[in-house]
Amino acid sequence: MKRRRFCETLAGTGLLMGTGAAGRLARAWDFQDTANLSHVEARFYKKHPDREIECLLCPRLCRLGDKERGYCGVRQNDGGTYYTLVYGKACSANVDPIEKKPFFHFLPATDAFSIASAGCNVNCKFCQNWQISQVRPEQVPHFDLPPAEVAAAAERYKCRSIAYTYTEPTVFFEYMYDSAVMARRKGLRNCVVTAGHIQPEPLQQLLQVVDAVKIDLKAFRQDFYKDYVRGELQPVLDSIRAVSRTKVWLEIVYLVIPTLNDGGPDIRIMCRWLAREVGPEIPLHFSRFQPMYLIKNLPPTPISTLEALRDIALEEGLKYVYIGNVPGHSGESTYCPGCRNKVVERFGMQVTALSLKKGACPACGRAIPGIWA
Amino acid sequence: MYLDIRMSASRVVVIKGRRVFLPSGELDPSAVAGMVALGFRRLTGSEEARDGVAGLFSRDDRVAIKINTIGGREISTRPELSLALAEAFLQGGLQGKNIVIWDRTNRELREAGYRLSDSPSVPRVLATDTSGAGYETEIFSHRNIGSLFSTIQTRFATASVSLAILKDHGLAGVTAGMKNYFGAIHNPNKYHDSRCDPFVAELFESGPVKDKHKLSLLDALVVQYHRGPSFHAQWAERSGRLIFSFDPVAADVVGWRLIEDLRAEKGLPSLLEEGREPGYLKTAEKLGLGRAGWDSIEVIRDEV
Repeated sequence: MKRRRFCETLAGTGLLMGTGAAGRLARAWDFQDTANLSHVEARFYKKHPDREIECLLCPRLCRLGDKERGYCGVRQNDGGTYYTLVYGKACSANVDPIEKKPFFHFLPATDAFSIASAGCNVNCKFCQNWQISQVRPEQVPHFDLPPAEVAAAAERYKCRSIAYTYTEPTVFFEYMYDSAVMARRKGLRNCVVTAGHIQPEPLQQLLQVVDAVKIDLKAFRQDFYKDYVRGELQPVLDSIRAVSRTKVWLEIVYLVIPTLNDGGPDIRIMCRWLAREVGPEIPLHFSRFQPMYLIKNLPPTPISTLEALRDIALEEGLKYVYIGNVPGHSGESTYCPGCRNKVVERFGMQVTALSLKKGACPACGRAIPGIWA
Repeated sequence: MYLDIRMSASRVVVIKGRRVFLPSGELDPSAVAGMVALGFRRLTGSEEARDGVAGLFSRDDRVAIKINTIGGREISTRPELSLALAEAFLQGGLQGKNIVIWDRTNRELREAGYRLSDSPSVPRVLATDTSGAGYETEIFSHRNIGSLFSTIQTRFATASVSLAILKDHGLAGVTAGMKNYFGAIHNPNKYHDSRCDPFVAELFESGPVKDKHKLSLLDALVVQYHRGPSFHAQWAERSGRLIFSFDPVAADVVGWRLIEDLRAEKGLPSLLEEGREPGYLKTAEKLGLGRAGWDSIEVIRDEV
């Protein structure tokens, strides 16, 4: 899609609304010509003899022969050179409240220009956006949105930040990185919503150009990662630790799936680990599961389960523990750990009252960690 | 009348074409057709190939011939073979409009030397990304598989044939007839962990494949026996063979053996020694899809 068409799309078809995933699966006549995919050399790979390459972007370390694609489906070996097929190829672009990501301690009550390309380097059986994350780029409608236009669109829609989200931004690393650089030149912030399944070197480079990272910690057990995520737990823990060692803001989301990852003892161990390795002030969100994708046989998470896990986290000393996907629940709001004053009130994805003063509780003056402005 | 598949389940026919390659290096289409005809006769025990075909399908069957064209012109299912097989089906009584030669994308078909055709009067050559085809919109879930199937497999086909190119595969060990159905789903990249085991077997076991699969025919005319699945001329052998079987597991086991024989002949270590034997074949046997043990496979060799 050319630039003019893109603008028409933004204006005319509601592309900038909605969740970004629903209904986006390509119908037969929507198939994208593979010639319309990008052919930009990927970063983070190693060449081997006989036109083989080894991808160094994520812990899978895919070793691929000529013409093969990685697990993510969006990076391809072509003649011994590795290419990203999704550079500047957005399959979703929306203006979202930052609370939707969710970030609760990062520019509250602002909008984030949110983009994604197709693809993902894990395969969660409970994926909420599988129609765009678990497909190849030619299987889903996409449009040209180069990095400079990402930043320009964010400005145009008065967004304070750009969010790399919906699918797994790691797989469109080059697009994300260059967009982030462009955004910073315009004074915009960058935030990443990721599973944290990335190698240390690309993560370190990314952390130079972004301001906030939300990591989905999907369980605290390797067998869950193996069976339900098709990934590894340890690299995610390494990523959490690495982000926490920088000035980049970090929040953790834990999607609670009934019977699969809702065990209190595991949650307690996880919270102790977070408190020890990251610190007790890291925001932790327990989100409610809805049946989706390959797990449709389980019910939505009981609210009582979310509340019980939140209590465990608070018992273990975490200061900012939230309940997500339960609009109107008191656990959506931020409370001062010192005096229990409600400093940010939320309803769903909206901030309904924000009483922080220069990042501190107006009642007792205690600093609330975050990037507030 | 259908053949009793159980009786010939582990029979594998290997046909060698003595003069299938012309001096120019091109394939001789008439020689390929002769190999196909002989293969059907030996596989079915019929006097005429067309009788064997007639016993395999009903006259109204819509037959989808799944080929593998990811390797470009050098190492994909040969158009001469696909067309010879379609012609054999026509002679066996199938209607042209009911035969489709297909793969994932039109681009890959073109790059492998196929001329796309959507005419109903002759066997059609098309892809999942052809207008009017596409993937199902509902996820099909079976054991570890969660995928969208091509509507060519789910809606067009009442019977399917795996006409795969036989190749060494860096991740799977061997790619042949069973793994060919990876091209019938939207997300094959998700199923290459653990040397594709158990994914190849479990995908084959799923209803859209298992309930329709009638025949495996492996294109071993040129075999990439090392450094596959991409083409490397120094490790590609003009074997000049075709491998036929009603047993999808046994067909692949015989293909694997051919690769191992070529590797041994060239002084290369076996796939087992390289730690990448295709374990999905044993898994497939455990799932009851066919026979993986060499001793339980009857191999019939012939030449033309």
